[in-house]
Amino acid sequence: MAKAVKKIKKVSSPGKAGTPILHPAPASSGSRLSVGKKVKSLSNKVRKVLSKVVFNRPQGHALASHSQSHKPEGGGLASHSQSQKKPITKAKTARLAVVRKAITAQEAKYFTHPENRITKTVQAVEPVRADFEKKEFPQGYDKDLIVLQVRDPWWLHTYWEVREGTWGKLKNELAKLFETAKKVLRVYDVSCINFNGSNAHRSFDIEMHQNAKSWYIDTAGPGRSWCVDVGLKLSDGRFITIARSNIVTTPLDGPSWVTDEEWMVPDELFSRLYTSSVGLGGSPVKLKQPWLELQKRAQGSGGVSSGFFSPVKKEKYKREFWLVVNTELIVYGATEPDAKVTVSGKEIALRPDGTFSLRFSLPDGKQIIPVKAVSADSLDERVITPVVAKETR
Amino acid sequence: MVLHTHLPYVRHPEFNDFLEEDWLYEAITETYIPLIEVFEGLVKDGVDFRVTMSLTPTLISMLSDSLLQERYLRHIGKLIELSEHEIERTRFEPEFNALSRMYFKRFKSCRDIFNQYHRNLVSAFKRFQDLGKLEIITCGATHGYFPLMDVAKSSIRAQLRAAVSQYEKVFGRPPRGIWLPECGYNPGDDQFLKEAGLKYFFTDAHGLLHGSPRPKYGVFAPVYCRSSQVACFGRDLESSKQVWSSIEGYPGDYHYREFYRDIGFDLDYEYIKPYISSDGTRINTGIKYYRITGTTGQKQPYMPELARQKAAEHAGNFLFNRQRQAEYLYEILEKKPIIVSPYDTELYGHWWFEGPMWLDFLIRKIYFDQNIIQMTNAVEYLEENPRNQVITPSMSSWGYKGYSEVWLQGTNDWAYRHLHEASWRMDELVKKFPEASGLIRRALNQALRELFLAQSSDWAFIMATGTHVSYALKRTQEHIQRFNKLYEEIKANSVEEPWLKDIEYKDNIFADIDYRIHQ
Repeated sequence: MAKAVKKIKKVSSPGKAGTPILHPAPASSGSRLSVGKKVKSLSNKVRKVLSKVVFNRPQGHALASHSQSHKPEGGGLASHSQSQKKPITKAKTARLAVVRKAITAQEAKYFTHPENRITKTVQAVEPVRADFEKKEFPQGYDKDLIVLQVRDPWWLHTYWEVREGTWGKLKNELAKLFETAKKVLRVYDVSCINFNGSNAHRSFDIEMHQNAKSWYIDTAGPGRSWCVDVGLKLSDGRFITIARSNIVTTPLDGPSWVTDEEWMVPDELFSRLYTSSVGLGGSPVKLKQPWLELQKRAQGSGGVSSGFFSPVKKEKYKREFWLVVNTELIVYGATEPDAKVTVSGKEIALRPDGTFSLRFSLPDGKQIIPVKAVSADSLDERVITPVVAKETR
Repeated sequence: MVLHTHLPYVRHPEFNDFLEEDWLYEAITETYIPLIEVFEGLVKDGVDFRVTMSLTPTLISMLSDSLLQERYLRHIGKLIELSEHEIERTRFEPEFNALSRMYFKRFKSCRDIFNQYHRNLVSAFKRFQDLGKLEIITCGATHGYFPLMDVAKSSIRAQLRAAVSQYEKVFGRPPRGIWLPECGYNPGDDQFLKEAGLKYFFTDAHGLLHGSPRPKYGVFAPVYCRSSQVACFGRDLESSKQVWSSIEGYPGDYHYREFYRDIGFDLDYEYIKPYISSDGTRINTGIKYYRITGTTGQKQPYMPELARQKAAEHAGNFLFNRQRQAEYLYEILEKKPIIVSPYDTELYGHWWFEGPMWLDFLIRKIYFDQNIIQMTNAVEYLEENPRNQVITPSMSSWGYKGYSEVWLQGTNDWAYRHLHEASWRMDELVKKFPEASGLIRRALNQALRELFLAQSSDWAFIMATGTHVSYALKRTQEHIQRFNKLYEEIKANSVEEPWLKDIEYKDNIFADIDYRIHQ
């Protein structure tokens, strides 16, 4: 996988949250998209802009670009640095101040607040993805589409497909401009609005390499709604939307500041409840850590899914050289097939040919093993008693 | 007390024996039957109790499947045989000999109970539901993870409809509640629950705590979802952690049985060979002779009586903590709190050998020894406390980190473009064939089965955790391929009947499915 060093251009960012950090999803290279003829309509949330080319002017002025580099990790996720502190708007400060009165500073940090977002850690995941994807599944479905999904309060995942035919068409229409155009994801913050393509609160662009098919986007924006276009950014500043995603909303990463009128909750009471829920309160079993800390625990300790596959964690022993030696004793013999044989007083079954074989775990010490055979008519009897002593030094 | 009971649909009639089918057999022997024994004992002794238990539609299908029932009997028969050999082999080692006798007795009793319920354990659980002790709830048809089906909502509906319809058939009444697959909730999904006639569901703690408006009583009272009025109960982390945590939780106690020392790995290869995987790979047999002992690899023999005492002690500790928790909460809430403690059922017995015994002690202690807390279920609680706050819970799951990352990461994210496309194709087929019959109808029904099976969250989960990965890949691939072939053939009106028949036989879940539920 190529090392991803991406540029982020903040296009428009009034009251913008922290710097978006990019997260490349590995692309399968050499994808071939078939040239399509017919366009099927998707669910109404997955809107597409197909035949017509839409020109969007970036809103506001472009701010300085900002680089972030990431460690690529084969096919998996890349680790990333933590989001930065960000300025907060006046309005929010005021609202939050109301929420926070009467609770201690320590408790306050568990409330959602742009100023003190709980630090997140991103797990580096071992890549398992192989060539499997390429060989066994269709390369594409002959569509221009982009789908957006929520991974967690901060991160989105998007995948898309653009038909060869669409590229061809764009190439024809744009002529020279196509050569210098950049393939871009434009991420819109569309919280609480009816998004029409030009009324987003803000947006930012993510440039990607030609073969990318999916991407992880760090929005640094819990509790916001998002939409993404896949498109081309031309050298003259215009943006051409090829497909527009569904709209998703990231969950809050802390308690809501909204308390409805009918159920006005005293902050102090709620904070006691909340801290009790996460183990900070006066409850006898002290969890000591807030909820999000608990979530960072390794799988198997936090009540995770699919119980059959997530064991109570296997203890990892320190690697050390080892040796195990056990002994077993085999007692075997034969008699008349219809005879009755007992070993240490217990009857055993004979094979059809009158042979028998017994296998014992042999601990240290002396074992006396009387083997007795009695003929079918009970007239004859033989007893043989092996005595075995084992000693481990 | 909520027990989520799920296994993915694993059934391979095309092979004589199949490693992953053992998940079911192990769960029957180690978890389901021990729990049934606990419930039977409680009923026999007149102990009133309330436990909520999900039985996922895939699990119900497997437990009711005659081929798998037959194979379970074969499986338990071999275990009985192995434990007989073990009684013989350990003759000079009294501690191990006693343990091998314990296993022999347990395995025999498993076979007896299995036969007593006419090989179908679902009827055992139904019995306790009919007695009012157990509240059985449903789940997504094949445990599809709803938050990642946001662009394929008709699949969410279909998952729910298939589940409800199976439940009604099996239990003779509609389900009242649901355990969302992976506890995965996305705001708005409650609307689909309402459509399916479901009255309540559960979220993880932050699903409620981070909901909007803020829930007045935290997770200690249910809420109603804003638009649907479906009730939502939040998970209590404190009680979860006491049982779950591998560090501080009960199951890690040194007196309890060590899961990772199994004779399938410990004994001489030639001796154990007939009882491990048919390809010769060593696997767990279920016979384990050691206790956890400590943090080193040196293990002492398991002492059932010591473990039993510990289980009783831990049950007492759990009860004590719930009492203090309830008193504390009552003080600050000024109303009776509800404490929701959900667990994966397989924790009890499979991972934590003494778990069923602990549950038995706990229920008896709650019933006989105190009157501070009381076992309840969602329905009874809501009857007593119908007035609850109205909020929109937050998107959440009970997976690692609390959201969708387990099922959406580098190892498995590539699958969603195929899964979503299949959902949209299914929509297209349903629209195109509103009243299909004959071969086309069979093909459409099978297409929905294949889609369902591909959607199991288990495959993404397995890919993320890294064990059995090739199996999960194979299953995803197979079902998507079969679906796409059906899609093409249905559209071209050229369904290949012998092939259809073959996959109907292999992927036989939900025999009387109706493809039109997918819309």
